Amino acid sequence: MAEALVVRNLSKRFGGLRAVQDLSFAVAEGETVALIGPNGAGKTTSFHLITGYHRADAGSIIAFGRELAGVRPYDICAHGLARTFQVARPFGKMTVLANVMTGALLRDRRLAAARAKAQEAIDFVGLALKAETPARDLTTIDQRRLELARALATDPQVLLLDEIGAGLTDEEAAELVRTIRELRRQRVAIVWIEHIVHVLVQVVERLVAMDSGRVIAEGDPEAVMRNAAVIDAYLGTAV
Amino acid sequence: MIAVAVLAAAAIALPLVVANRFAIDIAIRVLLFAFIGVAWNLMGGYAKQLSLGHAAYFGLGAYTSTILLIRFDVSPWLGMLAGGVVAMLASLPIGALCFRLRGPYFAIATIATAQVMMLLFLKFRDFAWGAEGTTIPNLGDDPLMMQFDGKAAYYYIALALLAVGLFITHRIERSWMGYYLVAVGEDEDAAEAIGVNALRIKRQIYMISAFLTALAGTFYVQYIYFIDPNTAFSFNISVEAALVSIVGGIGTLWGPVLGTVLLETLSAFLQSWLGSGLGGVQLTVYSLILMAVILWRPAGLIGFVSDAWKRLAPAPAAPVEARDG
Repeated sequence: MAEALVVRNLSKRFGGLRAVQDLSFAVAEGETVALIGPNGAGKTTSFHLITGYHRADAGSIIAFGRELAGVRPYDICAHGLARTFQVARPFGKMTVLANVMTGALLRDRRLAAARAKAQEAIDFVGLALKAETPARDLTTIDQRRLELARALATDPQVLLLDEIGAGLTDEEAAELVRTIRELRRQRVAIVWIEHIVHVLVQVVERLVAMDSGRVIAEGDPEAVMRNAAVIDAYLGTAV
Repeated sequence: MIAVAVLAAAAIALPLVVANRFAIDIAIRVLLFAFIGVAWNLMGGYAKQLSLGHAAYFGLGAYTSTILLIRFDVSPWLGMLAGGVVAMLASLPIGALCFRLRGPYFAIATIATAQVMMLLFLKFRDFAWGAEGTTIPNLGDDPLMMQFDGKAAYYYIALALLAVGLFITHRIERSWMGYYLVAVGEDEDAAEAIGVNALRIKRQIYMISAFLTALAGTFYVQYIYFIDPNTAFSFNISVEAALVSIVGGIGTLWGPVLGTVLLETLSAFLQSWLGSGLGGVQLTVYSLILMAVILWRPAGLIGFVSDAWKRLAPAPAAPVEARDG
């Protein structure tokens, strides 16, 4: 399988803090990978590096054969990588439809075409009944759905999801799993940061576990979850 | 649509009905500042780049056409367009500097740019008459040189400028650009995440906004037959442009127009009522009313109008946020 995204030796420090150290992983086209790790492991920082919001101190990010280190976020999105933010960032005074249309306008500047595509994405995430609601009036969970729809409207080939499932009920989580499966069926590669591992293992093909800015384990979900280093990272070492 | 047609008809008929020169003069000021407000609102309202330095472009427009007129006998009609182009070009380096900053820091930086412009024109007396300024030569009734006997012609020019500004705003509002501008105004980082080149769109709207503001500058000096740096680059113009939009309704098509009508009327009324009494009383009252309005309706007074309108006509009249036409 061809690689969609290859991250190699990525490093970033903030003053004395090594947020990401020598991070390397790859995602194949259409593959679903989860990025897990305790708080402060460097997961979100990695996303910021990959999507151009932070500039890496070292390392490279190659997507579909193009080096993305130093490329601006809008350009990275145009190149086919879309992300969601850990705390959803809707355009508050716009309606749900207008929010998603703004994403769709990237590929087609005509409003009618953007509206049709946005409508599709809104249906897909289950927000159809709220299309005309101003985004600021949505619940937190609906704001995250909106963020997913807005990202999907840009036609990504790689989707980076930052804790899109936090705080969901079991039923909502099951719905999210169905959504992710459907995206996988459409051959969208997904990198998913999440803490709720029991949900992740239902869909992802591989886990990448991070701690203190490094990859500590990688591979089959079951194996990674049994890995001693991963257990230590979450629970601490037995005294 | 019908409301706009009625409004336009009333605006066109006004000089035919009202003969009072003082009233027409106020009407011209209203139209001109509404136009400046509309130009400011494109950038300050939709993209929320709160510029307090639009006097820079007003002044550049005024000086460009005046220099062309006095030194080279170029008609102010052409000078007006030339001034627009000069302002547009000037907005590029100014934007390159100021767009590095966000929020209040951006506003402060833009104030500085207008002040620098004023200083330049104060110091360099060789090409622009320095601090004492100059009068515009009166050529009598000469439409080709933008000079007219009566006030009605000036009124119609100002009205035409406003119409152009509103038309451009309307077109932008209902295009991809309107969505991108509001997105950048709401959350620049989130906009970039979905492919919006925030810097580029800000630069583009700044150019359009500067161009339009410069047209107002040319018109104004032609109307008052006088130019000096303090008039052309007056901080009041920058403030007024922002204020009418904020009071009327930032980021809405009609907000700046409503804001100007209310503020100019209020100020003219207060001046004739209190102006002869204690010095400055009318300004104090004006400021108090202004503060009350902004505290009470931070989203602008246009909300009342659109609420009332919705009650009368079920079709939503809301801007970008709702839908396009």
